[in-house]
Amino acid sequence: MVPTLAFACAAVLASFSSVDALWPLPTGLSVGSTALRLSQSFDITVDVQGAPDDLNAAVNRTKSQLWNDKLERLVVGRGSVDADAISNAAELTSLTISLADGATVRSISEEAIDALESRDDSYTLSIPETGSGAVLKANSTLGLFRGLTTFSQLFYYYNDNVYTIEAPIDITDKPAYPYRGLMLDTSRNYFPVEDLERTLDAMSWVKINNFHWHVVDSQSFPLQIPGFTDLAEKGAYSSSMVYTPDDVSHLVSYAAERGIDVIVEMDTPGHTAIVSEAHPEYVACAGSAPWASSANEPPAGQLRFTEPAVVNFTADVFTALSKMFPSKLLSTGGDELNINCYDQDEVTQGTLNKTGKTLEQALDSFTQATHSALAQAGKTPIVWEEMVLDHNVTLSNETVIMVWISSDNVAAVAKKGFKIVHSASDYFYLDCGGGGWVGSSPSTNSWCDPFKTWQKSYTFDPTANLTAEESQLILGGQHLLWTEQSGPENLDPTVWPRAASSAELFWSGPALTNVSSALPRLHDVAYRMRQRGVKAISLQPLWCALRPGACDVSA
Amino acid sequence: MVALASLLALAVTLFPAGVQCLWPQPSSIASGATALKLSPGFYIQPDVSPPPADLLAAVAQTELYLRTDNMQRLVLGRGAYDISSVQSAKTLSSLVLSLESGATVESISTEAVKALGSRSEGYTLTVPANGSAATLKANSTLGLYRGLTTFSQMWYEYDGQIYTISAPYDIADSPAYPYRGFMLDTARNYFPVTDIYRTLDAMSWVKINTFHWHITDSQSWPLIVSQYPELAQYGAYSSADVYTPTDIQNIVSYAAARGIDVLLEIDTPGHTASIADAHPEYVACNQATPWSTFANEPPAGQLRFTDPAVRNFTASLLSSVAKTLPSSMFSTGGDELNINCYTYDNQTQAELNSTGLTLEESLSVFTQTTHGALIAEGKTPVVWEEMVLDHNVTLANDTIVMVWISSADAASVADKGFRLVQAPSDYFYLDCGGGGWVGDYPAGDSWCDPFKTWQRAYTYDPLANLTATQIPLVLGGEQLLWTEQSSPTNLDPIVWPRAAASAEVFWTATSPGGGALNVTEALPRLHDIRFRMVQRGVNAIVLQPLWCALRPDACDLNA
Repeated sequence: MVPTLAFACAAVLASFSSVDALWPLPTGLSVGSTALRLSQSFDITVDVQGAPDDLNAAVNRTKSQLWNDKLERLVVGRGSVDADAISNAAELTSLTISLADGATVRSISEEAIDALESRDDSYTLSIPETGSGAVLKANSTLGLFRGLTTFSQLFYYYNDNVYTIEAPIDITDKPAYPYRGLMLDTSRNYFPVEDLERTLDAMSWVKINNFHWHVVDSQSFPLQIPGFTDLAEKGAYSSSMVYTPDDVSHLVSYAAERGIDVIVEMDTPGHTAIVSEAHPEYVACAGSAPWASSANEPPAGQLRFTEPAVVNFTADVFTALSKMFPSKLLSTGGDELNINCYDQDEVTQGTLNKTGKTLEQALDSFTQATHSALAQAGKTPIVWEEMVLDHNVTLSNETVIMVWISSDNVAAVAKKGFKIVHSASDYFYLDCGGGGWVGSSPSTNSWCDPFKTWQKSYTFDPTANLTAEESQLILGGQHLLWTEQSGPENLDPTVWPRAASSAELFWSGPALTNVSSALPRLHDVAYRMRQRGVKAISLQPLWCALRPGACDVSA
Repeated sequence: MVALASLLALAVTLFPAGVQCLWPQPSSIASGATALKLSPGFYIQPDVSPPPADLLAAVAQTELYLRTDNMQRLVLGRGAYDISSVQSAKTLSSLVLSLESGATVESISTEAVKALGSRSEGYTLTVPANGSAATLKANSTLGLYRGLTTFSQMWYEYDGQIYTISAPYDIADSPAYPYRGFMLDTARNYFPVTDIYRTLDAMSWVKINTFHWHITDSQSWPLIVSQYPELAQYGAYSSADVYTPTDIQNIVSYAAARGIDVLLEIDTPGHTASIADAHPEYVACNQATPWSTFANEPPAGQLRFTDPAVRNFTASLLSSVAKTLPSSMFSTGGDELNINCYTYDNQTQAELNSTGLTLEESLSVFTQTTHGALIAEGKTPVVWEEMVLDHNVTLANDTIVMVWISSADAASVADKGFRLVQAPSDYFYLDCGGGGWVGDYPAGDSWCDPFKTWQRAYTYDPLANLTATQIPLVLGGEQLLWTEQSSPTNLDPIVWPRAAASAEVFWTATSPGGGALNVTEALPRLHDIRFRMVQRGVNAIVLQPLWCALRPDACDLNA
């Protein structure tokens, strides 16, 4: 018995680094080295009184994934090396999911859109190696959903068997940060609803819980907003390249059922040239040339925020948007305001002269008006970092700031006491490194070169240069895709599996991340994504993926 | 009439800005500003007797593209503003294909695999504005095929009408360079045959005529060789990740019918670790660690070329594969030979001692043996630049050398008098800029950073630093995809439309006016071919926001 025990012990020790299946890595995990396969009659029992429909649907999706993923283990010989172990394995017949005593039964969809810091994603999952029932428990259906996601990643496929070689498995898991996001810009180029659905699916597989939807910008206005339908009618790329209220409602539900809150952004007062298609009088420097004098990219055009009519219009649009999106969070943007645009705009200058206000004072009035419309609708505003670092506007204390220009600016925002979502271009911009896209410019590279590898994002330190107290302001972070050079054709390969790296960083926390041990798991989740129909790219030759560590720099 | 005539003249002079549909730009083109629509009964009449089956297939494919591209013009309104002129336009009922008198009728497939320099790809295409039949003439079916490709790009769709607004067309076109290629590595990651077919389709749309297939490497050996089945049996990623002899024949036929020659590369003597899975005795430093001492990337492993058995095996392997292929070219690779691998290999050192040869002398013997086997099969060997710049091997004078390390090396290769293909990493590598892929190396960037934009590739000067007498040595060039970070999931987006840039550089070479190619002029046309590729099922990426694509030049740097 002693040699066997010692062997088992060694296996457990070694296995912490050999759990290639899970992404993000659970914060508490112990595994064994015993094979266990799913019984043909395997079922998931929902032991929840009045189980909500979206929980039952999640259970059904999980069962479908278990049998249909057909992911062979990434080792030389693939599943065949496990054949003997599988044939002797005990059979798992059930997973029982239940809520902790006294927990209120609510739907996943309700819990997913609770205020950020009040969501409970935690769960415990126990899978004995004996074949007796596996158990998943949580305080919320949202936590059960996270646990189901984990469960569905544990199993490999070989020769009609669905199995793990790492039973028993005991997991106690919860996220390090409440905000784990992905931002997509659907204005530079349009993405059909099915692309967004597929993206939401992939996000849910790595426990990303916020879809930051940069839905409109200067190039196009695809969002149909009730009461303001002329914006999309005149500003969408075409009558078919729109998101109808039904599309939005569908996507919001689709996301929420998968534990994802949809945070819409209508960027203001910059990035609004397209509003001029419907309301030319609301937009300064619309389409002015050279664009480089009035905007960071073509076309130029910014809301005339000095005008009371524009202030009212914008506030009313935000009120209407608030009704379309149930999230507690809504972003008013606020990046890259071009001052020259207003310096040259006679309407703006006339109003400033008349009112005796400075441009910054007018911006403050505008921001307070739009943010107070949000507050009345029960929303917490989100803004880009310039609103606190470059401008002199009054923001409510709970305003959430997204730091994008540079990770170096995080500390400055924290000094001002605001909550922060990491979105730094130097770590998390998925569009960098593809070369310049502006025309007539043969030798330009991407403004945010180089390409941000998954390793770069993964090794980001969320609390760098922050005091312990300031560190409490960090809500989490996200990858972002600006779509000047992206469309449906390259959405998946540009985003996946890279965006999974921030998902793990902000779920598992920096203490658990290790770029060397992460790679085999990232291969695993990328291959599983492909099995599920998402075109995640290969990070290495398959030769390397099958030989963990063999292609490391010093191997 | 005077007013009308001067209007027409104006339109013609305005052209290249007006015609945004053709890629590569024909070497000579005149076009007008008259709308012309296809008759619902439009047909292509191959006036060639007897018409080869692949020409008939190309005609049918062209007719299908015309009906199904559904490509709307890239302007505000997408064709809505064209519709009134289209409604009153003349109707084109047919395109008549014929060979110049005296031309021998051969199949496209036969013409496509002739030796470089002996293929005839030129054609003339006339599309009158008055509705009388369009005519396409060439000296070969291959030329007719190129003309059909051009014709299929001329048409837009709106509200059920298939039309051009740029009639009449008069095109006399032929390529500036005989070699216009694309290289794909199917060893780092495997690509199913369907992906290769789709890639060949897209290549043919931009008149690329050579598929350089880097089929094996150290990571995997997907090629099933009838005489050496053990190589793929042990060296392929799986029994499904292989190219059977039938697959190879199908791909070669599919390519040839589309005017594309398949240049197969079996890289030797480096990049051959995967041979060790079947023949460990043939491979030095197989999977030796640390890999960086023995190879540029993992896994290490190179053929023991000092060993007569390895020489004979390699020569026999190459000739057994080459003899099944119609191309007149075959690449033996020859890049990135790691000397350290042999320095530490006891067997190599023993053989060098017993023969008294230096490693370089032995490499020359090996190369002469393998090239001799290929030459005996009627093939012209192709090698990477190191074989002439870094090593001292004897090569046949007609050997073709691919320059990859740097564009600056082309002149050195030319100095040695060899014909060359421009494949420089600093312009044409499609895999650069995606970050480092080696593990445990968070700060690693791509070795050939930055990303090579289409603009970068497009502004490449194939003749830079060459003397007038060296210029004829430049056969053309190609963009290349090494697939450490690519697989079927990102093949299309990483290749298209970027690889169209070199296709135009080596077809058109200079603007029809004789000046240098110009990225500003090219962008609207590149948008156009990109959108057409998407309509045909290739996931080519957007180059700009659609806002820009619909407004030519509005997103230029100084607009």
